[in-house]
Amino acid sequence: MKVLRNLLLIMLLITIVWITLLFISYIISVTVFYTLEHLPSAILPSILRVVIGLIIAGAWIIGWYQLTKAWLYKILLSRKEET
Amino acid sequence: MFEVLVAALTTLLLAPLMIIFGRRFGIEGIDVHKPWKPRIPKTGGLAIILGSAAGISMLLWFSNDGISFPILAACLIAGLIGFYEDLQGEINPKLKPLLLVFASLPILFLGAYTPRPVIPFLGRTRLYRVYPVLVMISYPVVCNAVNSVDVLNGSVILTSIPFLVMSITIFYLRGDYRLMMIAFIILASCIAILPYNLYPARTFIGNSGSLFLGAAMTSIAIVGRMEMAAIIALIPQIMNEMHVIFSIGGLRSAKFVEKRPVRLEDGMLTASREKDAPITLLRMICAEAKVSEKTAVWIMMIIACFTAMLGLLTDVLFIEGMIQ
Repeated sequence: MKVLRNLLLIMLLITIVWITLLFISYIISVTVFYTLEHLPSAILPSILRVVIGLIIAGAWIIGWYQLTKAWLYKILLSRKEET
Repeated sequence: MFEVLVAALTTLLLAPLMIIFGRRFGIEGIDVHKPWKPRIPKTGGLAIILGSAAGISMLLWFSNDGISFPILAACLIAGLIGFYEDLQGEINPKLKPLLLVFASLPILFLGAYTPRPVIPFLGRTRLYRVYPVLVMISYPVVCNAVNSVDVLNGSVILTSIPFLVMSITIFYLRGDYRLMMIAFIILASCIAILPYNLYPARTFIGNSGSLFLGAAMTSIAIVGRMEMAAIIALIPQIMNEMHVIFSIGGLRSAKFVEKRPVRLEDGMLTASREKDAPITLLRMICAEAKVSEKTAVWIMMIIACFTAMLGLLTDVLFIEGMIQ
């Protein structure tokens, strides 16, 4: 039964990752990709746009790792080891 | 469908020969999750490579479609890098991603890509300059991710099958029968190797097989314009690789990582409770539980099926209406 619990919890984690990935892909498209492909004339706002996009994407990757770490240690491995 | 049959039969018939070849030349690995630690030939991947190559070559022969050759070439380059690693031992973890970039070259030089990926909520983008760079990055990322789940008997094959089934479904819905056939051929080779690779494995697919399959999935995603669905379907593999890199502090050889994510107790797998052990998918599956290798690999497949369904859902809901 513990395996089934782990399976369901992993699937829940993946669902969270999936939803946030859809959101992040949109953010990157309208910041980084948009600026790189359209090369707008106003340089400073364009750089800012790319930097913000990259920061959000980087934060999401770190957030994903931290969430998985917390998921493993605080939820999946939370109970004391059985003797 | 004759090509699919050829791929399956070639893989099925070559697998025993590859086992003999592996034993004869000592291309073997230790099955660490068995208490008796048997030595298993890691040449099963060659049967997948040759079977798929036979099927795709026939497809190329009968209908010169312009996409079969770049896909086959990309897969063969990755498979060759994997075979070199199987023969010579582990390639430097920092050099390996650079070598795998070469697998992207047939796709790039033969123009088998469309630099207009569809992004959910946004629609079709125009990434003429950025897309080729993303193609180059995608091969090392996906190949290493697929390679990283090669931890149990049959784990790479069983986690790759849902991706291939998802691809076939997407191409069928689109009416793209050329790519559907390529995905079918690779799926047929994967299914044909299962009797030899499932628990208790008589052969490992080795780095040759896992890098070949990684390149196949990447190529199918790029040429077939299903990048977003592919990323979602490959979340378990990408998550596994990324979290291992993060938790061991960079691209390092697994040999030099002292703490193991799982340990073997009375023939059953259980997760390590040590804080500095690598975070892997298998460790999460085995958390606070004693799981047999056979069960663990099926759980991995269920997770891969779930992400393939999410990938398909994303494609149907957000991509298909905007792809043309």
